[in-house]
Amino acid sequence: MGDIFSNLGLGFGVVFQLVQWTPAFLGGVSIPIPVNILLCLIGALVGTLVGVLPGIGTIATVAMLLPITFGLPPVGALIMLAGIYYGAQYGGSTTSILVNIPGEAGSVVTALDGFQMAKQGRAGPALAIAAIGSFFAGCVATVLIALLGAPLTKIALAFGPAEYFSLMVLGLIFAVVLAKGSVLKAIAMIVFGLLLSMVGSDIETGASRMAFNIPELADGLGFATVAMGLFGFAEIIRNLDAGGETDRQLVQQKVTGLMPTKKDLIASAPAIGRGTVLGSMLGILPGGGATIASFAAYTMEKKLSKTPSRFGRGAIEGVAAPESANNAAAQTSFIPLLTLGIPPNAVMALMVGAMTIHGIVPGPQVMQKQPDLVWGMIASMWVGNLMLLIINLPMVGIWVRLLRVPYRLMFPSIVVFCSIGIYSVNNAPTDVMLAGAFGLVGYWLIKHDFEPAPLLLGMVLGPLMEENLRRALLISRGDWSVFLTRPLSALLMAIAAALLVLAVLPSLRKKRDEVFVESEN
Amino acid sequence: MSDTPSHAPVNSILPKWIRGPQDFIGGLALVAIAVFALWASSDLQGMRGFSFGAGTAPRMFAFLLLGLGVAVMLVGIVTEGAHLAKYHWRGPLFVSLAILSFAFLIRPMGLIVTAFSSFLISALGTPETKWTETIIVAVCLTAFCSLLFPYALGLPLQMLPKFMIR
Repeated sequence: MGDIFSNLGLGFGVVFQLVQWTPAFLGGVSIPIPVNILLCLIGALVGTLVGVLPGIGTIATVAMLLPITFGLPPVGALIMLAGIYYGAQYGGSTTSILVNIPGEAGSVVTALDGFQMAKQGRAGPALAIAAIGSFFAGCVATVLIALLGAPLTKIALAFGPAEYFSLMVLGLIFAVVLAKGSVLKAIAMIVFGLLLSMVGSDIETGASRMAFNIPELADGLGFATVAMGLFGFAEIIRNLDAGGETDRQLVQQKVTGLMPTKKDLIASAPAIGRGTVLGSMLGILPGGGATIASFAAYTMEKKLSKTPSRFGRGAIEGVAAPESANNAAAQTSFIPLLTLGIPPNAVMALMVGAMTIHGIVPGPQVMQKQPDLVWGMIASMWVGNLMLLIINLPMVGIWVRLLRVPYRLMFPSIVVFCSIGIYSVNNAPTDVMLAGAFGLVGYWLIKHDFEPAPLLLGMVLGPLMEENLRRALLISRGDWSVFLTRPLSALLMAIAAALLVLAVLPSLRKKRDEVFVESEN
Repeated sequence: MSDTPSHAPVNSILPKWIRGPQDFIGGLALVAIAVFALWASSDLQGMRGFSFGAGTAPRMFAFLLLGLGVAVMLVGIVTEGAHLAKYHWRGPLFVSLAILSFAFLIRPMGLIVTAFSSFLISALGTPETKWTETIIVAVCLTAFCSLLFPYALGLPLQMLPKFMIR
C-alpha cells in the first residue's frame, strides 16, 4: 500500500514539476513554469478541438496530432499525448450530443440519448453529465492503474517468450471477438497488419525483407505514416463520398442551463457507478477498449432500467453510463500497455508508436527503469480529466461554433496539416506518398467492410510476436509444443481458443451483434 | 460503414453464383496481396535447423493471409452479402493529387508554396467548393502552419523556395 502512495507521489511530482524559465526580456528574472501541466492542458484542448470536428474519430485525432509531440522530451510528449487522447474522446461525445454525428464508434451510443436531450433543449445537462461521469470514471481508473500496475509488472517479468507470444495471441483474439463486424475479416486484417510489419530489415540477420531496395523502406513502414494514411486520409476521402454537408442537424437552440438538476444527478449517479465498473473491467482486457465498453454499458443500463422505453428518447442515464464506461476503459487500457508492453487497442498501438519514436520500448522494464515516465503519465491522467472538466464546460460555446465550420473548408486543411505532420517525422517526401497510398488502401478497406483498426494492432504487434516466437522456439530447440506444455502459456492459449470458438458459435454471435445493433434502430 | 448499397447494381460483371460480391472481391484482393508477399519474400532464407531464417515469419504470415483470403472469398460465394459499394473518383483523385504534389514540392519549393497549393488542389475534391472563401482560408491556414510548425513546435522546415534562399 505504501508503495502505491509513494509511486503516485512520484507521479504527481513529475506532473507538477516546475521548470525555471529565464526570458531575456525580463533581464535575468526567472519564472517557474509547470511545463507538464501546461502540456497536459494543451493536449486536452487541442485533442478536444480536433476531436470535435465531425467525422474525425479518436484514432485519427491521435494519429494526426502525433507529430506535434515529437519535439518534446519523452515524459512531456507522453503526457501531452494522453491529454490529446482524453480530449479527443470528450470531443467525440460533444459532437454526438450536439450534432448527432458520432466521431467514432465509441460515442455512437451517446448520440442515441444525448442528441434527443439536446433536441429537447437539455444539451447543457447532457454535456455536463458526460463530463462529470467521465471525471468520476477517470478518478477510479487512475487509482486502479496505480493499484494494479506494480503487481502486474511483477507477473510480466516472470513471463518467458512462450508466455509473451501466447499472451499476444490472446490479445489479438480478444480484439477480434470484441470488435464489430465479421470475425473472419477482422482476423484477416490482423494478419495483413502482421505481414506489413515484416517489411524492413530482419532483427536478427539484418537481411532486407520485402523492401525492394527502396531506401525509405529499409527501416520498415513507418507506423505514424500508416496510421495517418489509414485513419486520416482514408476518412477524408470517405467523408467526401458521403457528401460533407448532407446530414448536419446541428442543434440550433442556444445551449443554456449547463447544470444538471438534482433529479438528473440522482438518476445518473448509479449509472455512472455501473458504467465505471464495467468500463474499467472491459478496458483491462486485451482487445477491449472504449467502444465495447460504451455499448455494453448502454445495454446494461437499458436492461436494468424500470422504464426501458425512455431510452432513445433522452434518458440521462443513457448518456451517463456509456460516457463513464468509455472513459474508464480508455484509461484502464493503459494497464496492459504499461505493465506488459502490449497495446490492447489501436489507440494504445499509436502510443507504442510514439514511445518507440522517443526510444522507449514499452514493457515491464520501463516501469522499473523509468518510473518517473510511467507514474508521471498515470498522475497526468487524473490531472487531464480534471482539466477536461474545468475547461470544457465553459468552452461548450466555442465547440458549438467549431461544429459549424463547413466540411469543404475543413478537409483541405486536414490534408495539408497531415502532410506536414508526416513529412516532419523524417523529413522524407516518400513518407507522405506512402501515407497517401495507405489512404487509398484504407478507403478500399472501408468500401469492402474491413476494419482498419485490427490492421494497425497487428502491425504494432508483428515484430514483438516474431521476436518472441523465434526465441521461444530457439529455447525449446524447435519444439512447437512449448506453447502448450508451459502451464501459463497453455492457459492463455486455451482461453484464446475458447474465445474464438465462442465467437463463431451462432448463439453468442447473435448476442454480440445485438449489442452493436442497438445503435442502429 | 454504411455506405454499401443493398440493392443490386444493374449490370454486374460478376457471375450470379457469387452471392456476396463485396466479400468475394475483398477476399480476392487479400489473396493477391498474400501471393505478392510470398513472391517478394521468396529470396529470403528459410528455416535453418530449428532457428528461424529471415524469410520464415513473412512467409508464415503470407500463407495465413492466403488462407484467410480464400475463406473470405468462400463466405462471399456461399452467403448472401452486400454488393460492391459505389466508388467516387473526384474525392480520392484530388486528395491523392494534393498529397502527391505536397511530396514533390516540399523539397524544392518550401512550406509556404506547398501548403497553399496542396490546399487548393484538395479543395477540387468536392463540387461544393466556393473559391473566394477557399482562397482566404488557404492563406490563413498557410500562415498558421508556417508559424506553428517551425516556431511553436521547433520542427526544421524550410519555408521559402530553394531558388529564393540559395
